[in-house]
Amino acid sequence: MASILIATALGCLWLGAAGLLVVQSERTVHRAATGITALAAILTLALLPLSTSEPVTWLHLGDAFGPLTFVPDGMGAALSALAAVIGCLTVAFSNDYMAWKPQLRRYYALMLLFIGAMIGLVLTDSLLMLFLFWELTAFCSYALIAFDCDDPKAVAGGVRALVVTQIGGMGLLLGALAVYGYTGSYSINGLISAPDALTEGVLALLAFGMLAAAAAKSAQVPFHTWLPGAMEAPSPVSALIHAATMVNAGVYLLARLYPAFESVPGWTDAVIVVGLLSILVAGLLAVSATDLKRALAYSTISQLGFMVYAVGVGDLLASQFHLMSHAVFKALLFLAAGAVIHSLGTRDMREMGGVGHVMPFTRNVFLVGALGLAGLPIFNGFWSKELILESGVHGPSWAYLLALLGVGMTALYTMRMVRMVFFGPARQADVHRAGLMMRVTTGLLAVGTLLTGFLIEPFSRLLHDTLPLYGIHVHATGDMISDVLGAPGAYVALLVVAIGGALWFLPPRLSAWLRHVEPRRLLTNDLGFAWINRATIGGLTGASDALGRTQTGLVNWNVVAIVAALLVVLIWSAGGLS
Amino acid sequence: MNPVTALLALLILAAPVAYVAPGYIGRRGPFRVTLLALTGAWLLWLEAERGGVLTLEQEGIAFVSDGLTVIMGALVLLLGTFIVLYSGVCMAGERGTRGYYALLLALMAFIIAMTYAADLFNLWLWFEGMAIAAYALVAFYRNDRTSLEAAVKYFVQSAAGSTLILAGIALVLMEAGSITLADVRLVEGSSALRLAGALFVIGFGVKAALVPLHTWLPDAHAQAPSGISAALSGVVIGAGLVALMRMLSALGDAAAAFGTLLIAFAMLNIVVGNVLALRQTQVKRLLAYSSVAHIGYIALGLGVGISTGENLALSGGMLHLLAHGLMKGLAFLAVGALLYVLVAGHGGHPALQLDDLSGAARRYPLVSLALVVALLGLGGLPPTVGFMSKWQVFVGSMAAQDTVITLMVIVAGFGSIISLAYYMPIVNRLYRQHTSTLIEGGARMPLAVTVPLVVLALLVVGLGLLPGLVDGLVNPAGNALAAAFGLP
Repeated sequence: MASILIATALGCLWLGAAGLLVVQSERTVHRAATGITALAAILTLALLPLSTSEPVTWLHLGDAFGPLTFVPDGMGAALSALAAVIGCLTVAFSNDYMAWKPQLRRYYALMLLFIGAMIGLVLTDSLLMLFLFWELTAFCSYALIAFDCDDPKAVAGGVRALVVTQIGGMGLLLGALAVYGYTGSYSINGLISAPDALTEGVLALLAFGMLAAAAAKSAQVPFHTWLPGAMEAPSPVSALIHAATMVNAGVYLLARLYPAFESVPGWTDAVIVVGLLSILVAGLLAVSATDLKRALAYSTISQLGFMVYAVGVGDLLASQFHLMSHAVFKALLFLAAGAVIHSLGTRDMREMGGVGHVMPFTRNVFLVGALGLAGLPIFNGFWSKELILESGVHGPSWAYLLALLGVGMTALYTMRMVRMVFFGPARQADVHRAGLMMRVTTGLLAVGTLLTGFLIEPFSRLLHDTLPLYGIHVHATGDMISDVLGAPGAYVALLVVAIGGALWFLPPRLSAWLRHVEPRRLLTNDLGFAWINRATIGGLTGASDALGRTQTGLVNWNVVAIVAALLVVLIWSAGGLS
Repeated sequence: MNPVTALLALLILAAPVAYVAPGYIGRRGPFRVTLLALTGAWLLWLEAERGGVLTLEQEGIAFVSDGLTVIMGALVLLLGTFIVLYSGVCMAGERGTRGYYALLLALMAFIIAMTYAADLFNLWLWFEGMAIAAYALVAFYRNDRTSLEAAVKYFVQSAAGSTLILAGIALVLMEAGSITLADVRLVEGSSALRLAGALFVIGFGVKAALVPLHTWLPDAHAQAPSGISAALSGVVIGAGLVALMRMLSALGDAAAAFGTLLIAFAMLNIVVGNVLALRQTQVKRLLAYSSVAHIGYIALGLGVGISTGENLALSGGMLHLLAHGLMKGLAFLAVGALLYVLVAGHGGHPALQLDDLSGAARRYPLVSLALVVALLGLGGLPPTVGFMSKWQVFVGSMAAQDTVITLMVIVAGFGSIISLAYYMPIVNRLYRQHTSTLIEGGARMPLAVTVPLVVLALLVVGLGLLPGLVDGLVNPAGNALAAAFGLP
C-alpha cells in the first residue's frame, strides 16, 4: 500500500510536469498544477499512518547501481508530506503571483519536478538515489532561481547556487561512493545498523564529507553565500525551495546518518560549531540587510543553524521538530513578503513602510509568522526552539550561551523587518491588496504556525515507532508544555527575546549608535565570503585565459607538444613504469 | 558468408554506390542508399550478435569478436542512424553530399572492422582507413579556409601519431615474432614491449585527443559539418581509446603499468578540457573542449581498471564511452539543426556564437529541450545517462580502495562542477525572452529533424532512469577488457 502511494505521488508529479509542457491554455496550466500538487499532498499525508521501517524495493537499476528502494519511515514520511503540502500551497499562491508571467509551463513543470525530487530524496534508502535526488533538487533550484533568463543577476545567482551546493555535495558523492566501494551496498539502513563495517578512517571521511554536503545544501557557513543570491527567484520558489524544503535536506542528511557518525571523534563538535557559526554570522547579516528577501534568507540560514546545532547536541527530535515549524512559518513569511513585493514592485525595505495600512491581512499573517520566527509563545517556533535549547543545556555550555545570543538576534532582526515593512509612514503610493489565492494560502500557513507546535505527540510517536535506531522518546503534548514552561531556561530565552526585540524600539540615539558601529563594509561584503567567491571565479577565468594562450593554432607548436609528451612518456617507461 | 563479413562488405561497398548514385536515382540518391545500407547493417549486426563469439581468418585478415566489438558496433550503428536521418534534411542543400555519405559509410565500416581486428597491423590499418575518411569529412566545406586549415592540422598531427604506432608495431614484431594479439600476449614483458606501449599511448593519444596531444581537436570538431562533429566527438575519439586498449592489452605483463599513465592523462584532460571550455564563445568549439574533458572521464575508468583490476571501473569507462557518444552526438546534432534553420537561407557556414542562441526555445521548443537534455547529461546531472555513467566511473575507481585514486576522483568531480559553469548559461540563453536577430529570422524546423533529436533525447533520459538496460552491452565489454589484460 505504501509503495502504491509513493509511486502514485511521484508518478502524478513527474508525468504531470511533462504533461504541463504541452497544455495550451494558461488558465488550465495554473489549475492543473495546483490540482496535481494537491493530489500529491493528499497521497503523502495518507502515507503518514502507513509509516514503517520496512523497505519497499521496486526494481534493480543495474549492476553498478543497486536496487531502487524506498523506506517510508516516520522521518521520511513526515518530510515528504511537508514538501508536498507546502509545495501545494506555494503552487496555489503562484496562481496569483505568476499570473500573466511568460513561460508559465516551464515554471510549473520545474516546481512539480522539484516536489517529486524532494519526496524521493527523503524517502529513499539508497545512497545513490539520495545523491541523484540531491542533484535533481539542486538542478530545479538553479533552474527556478534563474527562471528569468534575461536577468543576468538571476542567472548568476542560479549558477552560483548550483556550483556552491555541488562543491559541498562532493562530500556526499564521495561518501556514497566509499560506502559502495568498501561494502558493496548503497543501503542507508545498512550503513546505520552496521557502521563498523567501515574502517575508522573511511567512516571519518564519510562523516565529515556528509557534513560538508549538508552545510552546502543547508547554506551553512562557509557555504552560505549562495542563498542570498538565490533570492532572485520568484517568491513562491524562495518559500518552497529556499525556506521550507530543499535547504532542509542538509539537516535531514545529518539527522538520518547521525547514528552512524555519533561515535566519530570530533564530529558532533564540528556539527555544533557549524551550526553556531551559521546562527551568529547569518544573524548579524540579517540585522544589516536592507533587501526584504535577503533578510529572510539570512534568517533561514540562522534558523537552519539551530537545527544543525540540535543534531550536534544529539536531539534529533528537536531538530526535526524545529525543521517542521520553520518550514511552516518561513514559507508563510516568504509568501507574505512575496505578496508585498508583488504589490510594491520593490524588495528594498528602505522603500517600504506603512504597508500594513493598505494590506492589513498580509500584515497580520506576516506578524504571526514573525512571532513564530522570534520564538514567542504559543507559536510553533517557540516550542521547537525551546526543545532545542533544553537539550542545549546538556551540551557544551559555551555553545548554549552562544545559541541564546542567537535567539536574541533573531528577535532583533525580526522586529526590525516588521517595523520597516509594515509600520511607520507610508513611502509608496501605488499599493494594491493581495489576491485571493495569496490570502488563502498565507492564511492557512498562519493557522499552521499557530497550531503545529502542538503536534509534538503524534510526531514523536511516529519517529519513535518507525526509527528504532535513533533513540527517540515519545513526548506527550502536555509534558512538553509543562516541561518547557517549568524550565528556567525558557524564561531566560524569553528574556533574551524581549531584550532583542526591545533593542529595535530603543531611543533613536541608541539605534543610531548601533548603526554607527555596524561595520558596514564588512557586512555588505558578506563578512569577506563574497571576496572568496570573487577570487575563485577570477582565478578560474584567469586560468582559462592563460591556458587558452597555449592553444596557438600553429601546427608546429602542436607537434612540439606531441614530441614533448613522447619524450616524457619514453623517459617514464625507461624508468621501469612506476 | 558470415554476418560480420557481410556487414562490413555491405557498408564498404555501399560507399562507392552512394558516391555514383545521383546519376541514376536523383539528388537524394546518396541519402537513400546510405539509409538502405544502414538498415541492412542493423539486421546483419543483430544476426551476428545471435551467432555468439566469432573467430575468422581469411587472406591474412583475422577477426575476433568480444564484448568490445558489440558495444562499439551498437554505438556506431545507433549514432550513425541518427546522423544519417539528420543529414537527410540538414545536408540536403549542400554541394557534394555524395562524397559526404560515401565517406560516412566508410567511416562507420572501418570503426566496426577495427574493433574486430585480431592482429596489430590490421587494427592499425582499419584505424587509418577511418582516419582518412575523417580528414576528408572535416574538410567538407572545401571552399572554406578555416575548414581546410582544421583538416590539415588534424591530418598532420594524426599522421605523426600513426607513425609512432607503426614504429611500436615493428618493435612488437621484433620482440615477439608475431603481431597477432593472442600470440603477443604470451610473450613476457620486456623493455622493448614497454617502449612499444609508450609509442602506442602517444600515437593513439593524438587520435583520442589526450592532453597535450589534443590541439587539433577544437578546430576539427568545430569546423566539420555538425553531423560529422557528432560522429567525430561521439565515436571517433572514443574509438582511439578502444584501439589503444586493444594494443596495450597485447603487451602482457607490461600492460597494467600503462593504467597509471592513462590516469595521469585522464586528469590532464579533465582539468584542461573543462577549464578551457569556460571561456569559449562559439557553441561548437565549446562542445569540442567538452569532448576533451569527457575523454578524460572515459580514460579514468579504463586506466583505473587496468591498473587495479577493478572490473567495475572498466565497465564504467565503457558506459561513459557509450553515454558520451549519445549525449555529444545529440548536442552536436541539435546545434547543427539550429544552424540549419538559422543560416541555411543565408549561405556560408558562419560559426554559431553563444549569443545567437538567445531565445531559441521560444521558436524551437523541442530542439532546444533536446539540446538542454544533452547539456545536462554532459554536465552529469540526473536524470540523464551522463549522471549514471560518471557515477559508475567514480564508484569503480573508489572500489579500488586507493588513496591516490580517491584524490583523482575528487579532482574529476570538481572538473564536473566547473563544467556546469559553462553548460548552464547556455540553457539560460535558450530560454531568454529576448530573441537574437538570427532566431527572429530563422526558418521553420522540419519535423524530420525534430523527431530523431527528440528520440535521442528520450534515450539519454531513459538510460539515465534505467541504466541497467545497457548492462548487457557494458558488462561484456568490461569483462572482455579484463580478460584481454589478464586481470582476475
